[in-house]
Amino acid sequence: MELMNELLEKYFRGETTLTEERELKRYFITGNVAPEHEIYRALFEEFKQEKTETANAPLKKVIPEQRKIKRIWFQTFAYTAVAASLFLLVWIQFPQATEDFAVIDGKRIENQEYVQRYTEKKLNKVSNILARSMEPMRSFKKVRQDMEPLQNVRDIKAKMNAIQSKLNNK
Amino acid sequence: MESTQFNTQILNHSDKLFRFAKSILRNVDAAQDAVQELILKLWEKRDQLDEVENMQAFTMRSMRNLCLDTIRQHREEVEIPAEIEYVEPNPYHLIERKDLAARIRLMIDNLPELQRTIIRMRDVEEMEITEIAYVTSLTENAVSVNLSRARQKIREQILNEQKRVEERVWN
Repeated sequence: MELMNELLEKYFRGETTLTEERELKRYFITGNVAPEHEIYRALFEEFKQEKTETANAPLKKVIPEQRKIKRIWFQTFAYTAVAASLFLLVWIQFPQATEDFAVIDGKRIENQEYVQRYTEKKLNKVSNILARSMEPMRSFKKVRQDMEPLQNVRDIKAKMNAIQSKLNNK
Repeated sequence: MESTQFNTQILNHSDKLFRFAKSILRNVDAAQDAVQELILKLWEKRDQLDEVENMQAFTMRSMRNLCLDTIRQHREEVEIPAEIEYVEPNPYHLIERKDLAARIRLMIDNLPELQRTIIRMRDVEEMEITEIAYVTSLTENAVSVNLSRARQKIREQILNEQKRVEERVWN
């Protein structure tokens, strides 16, 4: 108790350290307070009580709200970008699902069988044109085959010249 | 200073700033406004805050300056003059403020601004004398003197009140 008396006197002179003041607070709030010290209990309880006072909630939101606004903008932008990407992906992947028709002579034709027959007919036509285009090539090949005997004549002539020159030498 | 750092170093101490502002202004609404104004000012100047060494002492000092400016600007609106001394509670006060803790709060609130600021920084916020000296722009010795005077005044008032209670009991 003597120690607490000294500490209290020191406290009121403004000479205590923070550690000593914390010890005093502990004594008055949690310990068995001596009757002569009881009158000071309310003082230390008041200090403890004041430390629990808080500002109103909106005060703490001053800055976080600004950050929240920024985050909302960012999220909106991000979600929009993702949605646009998904739409593009679907649009590119499945164009036939939404365009199941053909345009023939400027008309929109949705009859699949008709379009198929029309396409085969056109393809045959293209095939015939190609076949006709290849005709001169076949003729050229035939001429080349026909001219092959002439090559043999040239070889025979060369051999005959060689034999004749040998006979002349003899 | 990044927003997360701002939150940690300043916004998380808004309760302490509020208590401090309330002690100087002695008005809850005015204290709320002052803290909000300070936080917004600091947020606008957050780029310069990286150079501050002791953020707590800096914000407390800024808070005190802002509160003193507010008092100067609206002196006529302040209910209790800044330098008024504690007056003995009349019977009406005694009925209204039966609770001893509430009376002690009134005693502290009625101390001169500098003394009540110092006693609360020390006894409520548990700040070092060097920090209090920085916040109040005083020397450490001047802080100790003011702290001692504030505590002595409170002690005298507590003892006087005790004496009156005892007198009432015996009479």
